[in-house]
Amino acid sequence: MNEVILRKFTVGWITQVRVIQALMIRELNTRFGRENIGFLWIMGEPLLFAGLVAIIWHFLHGETEHGIGITAFIVTGYIPITMFRHGVNRSVLAFSINSSILYHRQVKVLDFIIVRFLIEVVGGMMAFVFSAAVLMVFHEFPVPDDIGLFIMGWMIYAFFSFSLCLIIAPLSEMSDVLEKFVPVTTYVMIPFSGLFTLASWLTPEMRDYLLWSPFVTGMEMMRKGIWGEQITAYYYPWYTIGCSVVLTMIGLILCRRVRRTLTVE
Amino acid sequence: MIVCTNIYKEYRRGSYCKRVLNDVNLVVEPGDRIALLGRNGAGKSTLIKLIGGVEVPTSGKIRREMSVSWPLGFAGGFHGSLTGYDNARFIARIYRRDYSEMKGFIEDFSELGRQLRMPVKTYSSGMRARLAFALSLAIEFECYLIDEVIMVGDQSFNRKCHYELLEKRKDRTMILASHSTPLVQELCNKAVLIHDGQATNYEDVNAAVEQYSLL
Repeated sequence: MNEVILRKFTVGWITQVRVIQALMIRELNTRFGRENIGFLWIMGEPLLFAGLVAIIWHFLHGETEHGIGITAFIVTGYIPITMFRHGVNRSVLAFSINSSILYHRQVKVLDFIIVRFLIEVVGGMMAFVFSAAVLMVFHEFPVPDDIGLFIMGWMIYAFFSFSLCLIIAPLSEMSDVLEKFVPVTTYVMIPFSGLFTLASWLTPEMRDYLLWSPFVTGMEMMRKGIWGEQITAYYYPWYTIGCSVVLTMIGLILCRRVRRTLTVE
Repeated sequence: MIVCTNIYKEYRRGSYCKRVLNDVNLVVEPGDRIALLGRNGAGKSTLIKLIGGVEVPTSGKIRREMSVSWPLGFAGGFHGSLTGYDNARFIARIYRRDYSEMKGFIEDFSELGRQLRMPVKTYSSGMRARLAFALSLAIEFECYLIDEVIMVGDQSFNRKCHYELLEKRKDRTMILASHSTPLVQELCNKAVLIHDGQATNYEDVNAAVEQYSLL
């Protein structure tokens, strides 16, 4: 009996991996096309966003803040938030947009969210590496102190964003109103993402409030991983992971429920 | 074998709820050629979509013990802004087939030529049907779900489909939703008449057609 279950699981796993690969290529094709730099556009958006905002801040706020290079600080803040915002925006109505692919039974609705989010994660990571490399040449970006901590932070941030996408996608199919609120909500989220300040720059009271936001942990870990001894960071990885696990559970249940009522043309 | 037990399907929009299928039972044996008959909106396409796993029944269970094609019609299964070739590549990937082999067959069978390099949204419904048929025949299913498409092709394409599907693949199972009674009488050995959400199984196709023409 157990063997049968295991075999079923393996077959299902292999199928899903293959479907995700195929969907990924298809999504890259439809989104970025094969013209000019093609798939490299995957990092284009976060790069442009972070780069331009960093330049503006560079001129508005001077070169450093609390002894840290402002360009690097803004780049490290904006690339994760871009991943989150784009991921959430793209999961709105992701099921209906892709519904014609549901004609193929092995494609599951979950694959749509995974693929769309994965593209944002990979794009963000590439943009990160690229901009860090360029900034390092100009001595605007430090050599990362603890790359492991940085990657952990990025993954925790991504996990939490993904769990939100899992909820947004089915909810947007259930209610038309939600779609209107998503852009403004993700915009209002920006100050709560720990993007503009380190928790240690705040008053203790403010800090306690800010640390309730699961994003801040990821953000602080990434920055600690980059600046190391130069900064003090506050992070509670298990808190964010716990929140993400709970949201993922709710999201998976919602996805399953919505799949039952999904109308495919 | 495909077994559908106690299938209910409802569509909801706000407080309005339409029950399309009301306790439908159907057993499809290997080699069966089943005609789905019924008036427009009776639920033929819905049943085909449920069997194909495109939509999920509100309640009830569908067990598939053979490989079932996706519902062949002119809508669905394709991505409009991708080219015919890209769609074929995608389908080859998810069904784990060798694309280079498939490509030759598709070019040959669909006769679409250079049009395969154009986005599928520029295709006419006849051309889409050609592509859909070519892809599904290239993959080789045990059971084909066909939703009216045979009728949109031109004569030469119909002859081709007839040969590929009904002569070369005589042993395959087929579920065909159709309004064309002569076609149904020629092809099918069983029929299901859907009316008012109820499905009646007929072993005798002629009896089903007779009943259908009375509706």
